Amino acid sequence: MSSGAKLGAGAAPVAREQAVGFHAKLEGASLWDLVQMECLARSRLAVEVAGEGGLGYLFFDAGRVVHASTLRNRGQAAALEILSWTRGTFQPTTRSWPLAPSIEMSHEALLLHAAKQRDERASNLVAFPGRGAEAALEEIEILDVDPDGFAPDGFAPDGFAPEGFAQEGSSEEEVTGVAAQPPAGLEEGKMNVRNPNFDEASGAPLAPRAESAADFPVMLRLSAQGAVLRNKGGSEELAEATAYAHRLVQLTGELLGLEDFVALECSFGSDRFIVFTENAGEVVALRPRPELSLQALRERLGL
Amino acid sequence: MTGGAPAELLVSLGTLKDVAGIMGSFVFTDDGRLVAREIPALFDDTALFEASGRLTRLRETFAAVGDHLDVAVVRFRDHKLYLKVLGGGVLCIVAEGGVNMPALRMAANLVGRRIVPALERAAQEPAPPAVAARPPALAPPGMRRFRGHAVE
Repeated sequence: MSSGAKLGAGAAPVAREQAVGFHAKLEGASLWDLVQMECLARSRLAVEVAGEGGLGYLFFDAGRVVHASTLRNRGQAAALEILSWTRGTFQPTTRSWPLAPSIEMSHEALLLHAAKQRDERASNLVAFPGRGAEAALEEIEILDVDPDGFAPDGFAPDGFAPEGFAQEGSSEEEVTGVAAQPPAGLEEGKMNVRNPNFDEASGAPLAPRAESAADFPVMLRLSAQGAVLRNKGGSEELAEATAYAHRLVQLTGELLGLEDFVALECSFGSDRFIVFTENAGEVVALRPRPELSLQALRERLGL
Repeated sequence: MTGGAPAELLVSLGTLKDVAGIMGSFVFTDDGRLVAREIPALFDDTALFEASGRLTRLRETFAAVGDHLDVAVVRFRDHKLYLKVLGGGVLCIVAEGGVNMPALRMAANLVGRRIVPALERAAQEPAPPAVAARPPALAPPGMRRFRGHAVE
């Protein structure tokens, strides 16, 4: 959700009509981005989030989420429950404020916590060979994470294809576009939100979504802790090997005083394998087709 | 280690420095034993020994999933590490980030060919026995005391 559209930051909890700012009608916005946006704006605001888990409320103040509630939970547990929802709406509400804050952690820590929970769920969902390609691709789709938060530094929204490898139908528009016409039932000032841990933008399996994905029969994305965030064509053993190899070259660099690992390219006969680190320490591994020129990728990674 | 390295190995490794940006190189056997180094003393033997062990494990890691390493390039912020698997071991080149890679590859190929015989011989030599643990250092004479009494 990088359109810059904002739901109006008000000084009072609900006096949105008097607040200076724009009313937004957004579709496909990420709930996590909306939370970050309100925190960065240091809004004092109560928001009603309607998701598949029911109704939830988030209370923002001075750059933090200070309270949350759902039918089942209060405080941090409620915030994490809401952040796990995959779709819904996000709108200001007149709900009364709590007497005292129930969430102490910063919004960044809260989102990290939610991401960790997502990773833990994801690590149980990764499909590996032997379970049928169709089922594997379906499950891989569930693991897709927010394209705009997932693809920094020129990486295309499907989260893997590197800069210089154009993708068909970039989902940038899907992510940042402001709906020209509000869909039925979408009131002014309401936003349809999606959770960044669920990419519903494409119902198609990974490969057909981007032509260049076919250039990389194996694509793996691991969290800094080694959880498989995304996997196409890789085995569990390869994910383990990637995580260990990444650690070994990091340590070797530290030993020799070289430090700050950026990327690794290995050649095995005609096969090649590339591993690199992205923001937040995520590790991406790619196995390109043997005949693919890697010049652009090498230049970008400094290899 | 370096003192015992075949001279032909050291001479060959030295020629790698013709390529601007190459800081030095070292060679280790398939079992991770450092056999030669031609690299500034800034990189001490201990670090190179340990790096050799880790890079050997890197090879083994990929081999475990069916990938037999030929060449690897590791990019760090300001430097590169270039690994070339040879008969009997691995040539490892430390270079600056902006090194001319085609020139480095060519130099590594040529040097690799030259050092294979010496490397194979070194690989066949038995590994030196592990250094026995040294006894704890004694205090200097005249200072060996226990509960106020001199102990010699």
